[in-house]
Amino acid sequence: MHELSLAMEVIEMTQREAGKNGVSTILEIQVEVGDLSGIEADVFQSALEMVVKDTLLENSLVRIIRSPGKGKCSACNLEFEMKNLFDSCPQCGCLPSQIIGGQEFRVLSLVAE
Amino acid sequence: MCETCGCGNPDESRIHDPKHDPDHHHDHDHGPEHEHLHNHGHEHEHEHEHDGHKHTHPHEHTPKRVINLNMDILSENNRMAERNRGYFEGKHVLSLNIVSSPGSGKTSILEKTILALTPSRKIFVIEGDQQTTRDADRIEKSGAPAIQINTGSGCHLDAKMIHLALKKMEPDNHSILFIENVGNLVCPALFDLGEQRRVLVISVTEGDDKPLKYPYMFQSADLCIINKTDLLPFVDFNMESAMNYARQLNPDLEFIQMSAKTEEGMTEWYDWLGKQLNSEVAN
Repeated sequence: MHELSLAMEVIEMTQREAGKNGVSTILEIQVEVGDLSGIEADVFQSALEMVVKDTLLENSLVRIIRSPGKGKCSACNLEFEMKNLFDSCPQCGCLPSQIIGGQEFRVLSLVAE
Repeated sequence: MCETCGCGNPDESRIHDPKHDPDHHHDHDHGPEHEHLHNHGHEHEHEHEHDGHKHTHPHEHTPKRVINLNMDILSENNRMAERNRGYFEGKHVLSLNIVSSPGSGKTSILEKTILALTPSRKIFVIEGDQQTTRDADRIEKSGAPAIQINTGSGCHLDAKMIHLALKKMEPDNHSILFIENVGNLVCPALFDLGEQRRVLVISVTEGDDKPLKYPYMFQSADLCIINKTDLLPFVDFNMESAMNYARQLNPDLEFIQMSAKTEEGMTEWYDWLGKQLNSEVAN
């Protein structure tokens, strides 16, 4: 369950950035989780909720933004939605597809007071 | 809509703020580019009715502030991994991250490799396990210095753990460093340790559909060792299917079929290591 250590990484990142910006209350955190990032968004959200106690994020709203997987066929260049890494090109059936979206895993923004 | 607090936009999730009632009346106005980059209170009027008459009175609230980060959550790990990679390059150390599910035979392969390659080549090992020093003890008996990292509840090694282990271990120049990751085909895939090559070990007792079930690991590996081939007569493992599934994800993946027990495939493995040592990676 790497989501737990990633949740802790998010807390460290938030505390560092809050310190740099001189804020002490975080009302909301927005995290983007791509569908092909290898991170389960729901598990990550639960993990984050487990570890926020006594941190800046204890009372924050956690907003997860999902970004859909997107592939590009290496043979015919068609761009298409990818649900998993084994999705082949819907036009010519080729594999592997080049992943061009959905691997994001980042903190987009904090809303502070 | 107020750009700063989101007040008035029905699509936004609401943040409960006792000082800021969403139904209240804003009688101040600001443009869409407006940003509060410093903290200050602002006053506005609040209208309500009681005792049959309307009146207004001012109150203060602290404006919300949006801090845009767009920061990759793995960036700290990746930064540390690059430091490790620089360390390996500077010392001409060939570093290999060995990943697998538990029980696929990683430690046995390493024991045989150490016996075969030392003393002509100095070998160091970092062992990752949740608990115990059993694997490090086995490796030390084979004749290579080993450091055990116990991850506790953690399911993978990360670049910082390797950084700290390297400070203790100080591998020799021109040596090989094997990093035996925690047995797990999911989590270690996401964590770059700064290794130059990633070696995935699976065994024929695990089923030939492993690439379908754990695609991220197969996608990120350079070499796949398929171990325990001596057991092939006793299990339903289709070698061609396993390799084809993996190649669909990662056409550049190399394969070695091996039995650490009978030593089938070990020569091919030593040749592969020799090729990496002679490549730009360790030179």
